[in-house]
Order: sequence, then structure tokens, then C-alpha cells
Amino acid sequence: MAGSPLRRLMAEYKQLTLNPPEGIIAGPIDEENFFEWEALITGPEGTCFEGGVFPARLVFPPDYPLSPPKMQFTCEMFHPNIYPDGRVCISILHAPGDDPMGYESSAERWSPVQSVEKVLLSVISMLAEPNEESGANVDAAKMWREDRNQFYAIADKLVRKSLNIPV
Amino acid sequence: MEGPSNAESSSKDPVKDGWNPDINQDEAIIAQQRQIEKDIADSIKLVGDKMDLSFLLSEYPDEDDVYKNKIKSLLKKYHLLRRTRPDGNCFFRGFTFAYFEYLITDAQELDRFIDVSNKIKDDLIALGFPSFTIEDIHENFMNALNSLKTKEVSNEEQLLNLFNEQGTSDYLVVFMRLLTSGYLQKNQEFYSSFLDSGLTMKNFCSHEVEPLNKESDHIHIIALTSAIGVGVCINYLDRAQGDQVTVHYFPDNCDPKIYLLYRPGHYDILYLRKDDV
Repeated sequence: MAGSPLRRLMAEYKQLTLNPPEGIIAGPIDEENFFEWEALITGPEGTCFEGGVFPARLVFPPDYPLSPPKMQFTCEMFHPNIYPDGRVCISILHAPGDDPMGYESSAERWSPVQSVEKVLLSVISMLAEPNEESGANVDAAKMWREDRNQFYAIADKLVRKSLNIPV
Repeated sequence: MEGPSNAESSSKDPVKDGWNPDINQDEAIIAQQRQIEKDIADSIKLVGDKMDLSFLLSEYPDEDDVYKNKIKSLLKKYHLLRRTRPDGNCFFRGFTFAYFEYLITDAQELDRFIDVSNKIKDDLIALGFPSFTIEDIHENFMNALNSLKTKEVSNEEQLLNLFNEQGTSDYLVVFMRLLTSGYLQKNQEFYSSFLDSGLTMKNFCSHEVEPLNKESDHIHIIALTSAIGVGVCINYLDRAQGDQVTVHYFPDNCDPKIYLLYRPGHYDILYLRKDDV
């Protein structure tokens, strides 16, 4: 009678399929294994990532939702809050206490009432508004601060790449 | 535990001597913290067996009169103690275990609590919590209560099994935390005055109440006991002057069903002498 991570993940998948939030498609890579999902994130309108479709992988721990999932983009990304290897660094993927980046205290944290949907929506807001305080990619953070136009140019390239449009 | 052989987490090794620029220090600190938590988890059960309270005397040096005298005064009223794992959930887990232990003996109170818990789901959804995650957590909690009702869980051993299965146990704690958060938010007009200025109740709850492993303060205790209408008596064993433990009842003047021992940073469960079996 333990809280079943599998049942919860199936419920979340169903919820996301029935009421998909704008710009997000997500589900298990293989329905035999609900602990690894693929997500497609659409770059938010009115931002330098607009129009891009970015694939990412979500991995859920065996005690989900007591512990948060991990998320990693599987395409090339350049963003202050995404490590060069694609791992996403935002507060909602951390429980309070795990504070590697010294997030501002008001930022939303992981707790079992959160969901995949909330995480993905937070990632979309992160794409729209990088958190300059948390430099997972220091080069990207620096460029975002000091040379916004070059940042936009790189983002544009990534958008085209994600759509297979020649740069 | 040191050594380069720990290949799978080479990038997450705890901080070693000196500075290594290849190591992400923030991640290293978290990894070290995880290791400490694991060591605690390996050595202390989530909820332990009852033990003779007088063992406390051996935990403090003989010349420590303040503690020795207070423990002696404690021993007049209580004789057994049940330890809980110091993982930040000790208040919630200890409280819930002790309450479930009581519920096994009181069918009427169990029915009342089932009723209270059922209503709380709608309260939480009305406060804006996402309904399907709340339903998941609520359903698990109700399953546990039903197992008390059907007597599937009807003795101490079965309760210990329930509370020492990490997933199940944490789910119960999560529900109690949500219930506390819901009560605080519903009554925020009153409780907000206890928060640091500038902090909203919603923010406080999502950072300090809802997440697992966040330690409890008086505000959590007052809210939980008020929300479910169950009194707790807490005995504070600390270095404050005097030869008696400090005793607080939550809510004030209640008839407690649960007795806890507080030592700075940690709660364990106490058993009254009259409850001797």
C-alpha cells in the first residue's frame, strides 16, 4: 500500500495527455519504463528561443514524488541555467536545503505536491527569463549579462538547429 | 570511505583535502550531506522500538546536574521512550506514529479523524493545490487509516512495519505536512503575525512546511494540533535553569493524547507510567 511512484507517474502522464499545457509534450520513452521520459519544450513566444523545439530527458527517482526528478536537455543548449552537458539547474528541481546555487529564497522548491507539469512550465519560464544569480553555464551567464546581442544570435542558431533549418 | 576507487561518483566526491578546480564544490558539499544522512539512516530506524527511558541518564556525563536532575524528574512521569530518526521529519513522524498508536485503541476517535482527513482534501484543493497530486497523497493516507479501521494494522509491530517502510512512512508525513500547510494558509490572518516581515504564508508553507525533511517549529505544532483537534504534551529537556523539564501543551490546556520529548533539534516519543502494559 506504499505510495506507488509508478501509479503517480501514470496519473501524471494521463493528466499531461488529456490537458497538455501549451508548448509541452512529455511522456515515457518506452511505456515499459515510466521512470524515463522524453519531453519536447517549445521556446516561449517573444523570447530569443521562440519557435525552437528542444528535446530533453527526465529521469525519476525510485521514490518519486518524495524526491524530485532530474532533467537534461539532449540537444545543444546555451543558457545561464543549463549546464554545458544539458542538465537543468532550477530551484523547483531541488528540495529546500539543497542549495548549490544560492537561489533566492522566494523561488519555488520541490515538494511532493509539485508535478512534471509544474517542472516543465518552470523550465519554459526559465528559458524566457534566465536567473542571472545561478550560473550553471558561466559563459552563457556572462554573455547574457554583457553581450545580449551575441546571446540572441546563439539562441537563434540553436532554434534553427532544433528545427533542422540550415543556419 | 575515502579513496579514489569510488568511480561512479567521481565528480561528486565529498570535499577532500585542498582545492581541486575540477570538482564542483557545491555538488561536493551536497554529496557529503547525503552521505551523512545515509549514515544516520543506516544506524537509526525511522521509528524505533520502545526503550527504557532511564537510558537517557547514560547519555549525559554524571557531573551534568542540569540534565541528570531533569531526567530524574522526567522519569517520575514517564518510563519508556521511542526514538525517531533525526531526519527533519521527527516531529511529524513521531506525532503521527504516536497518534496512530492511540487510534488503534479508540475506534470513535479513529472515525472522527477519518472524517477530518476526508474533508481536508477539498480544503487543500480550494486553496489552489493541484488536485491530482493532492488526491494521490490523500488516497495513500486514507489507505493507512482504513488499514487501522479494518484491523489489518492493529498492533505495535504492524504499525512499526508501516512506519519503517520509507515510502509509505514519508507519504504519511507528507500528508500531515500538507494538512498543516492548509491550516496555516486558511488561518493566515492570525498566523502571519508570527512570520518574519515580508514573508507570505504561502511562501513560508512551500519552503518550511510542505517539503520533506524541513524541521518543525512551534508554528507547525500549533497548526497541526489545532487542525486535527488532537493535543500534544511536549517535554523540553535542555540546559535551561531548573531541575524540572519545561512542559508545554499544544493547544493550551488540552487533554493530550501524545507525549513527546524535545531535546534541542529533535523529538522522540514518550510513554506515561500509567500506560504501562
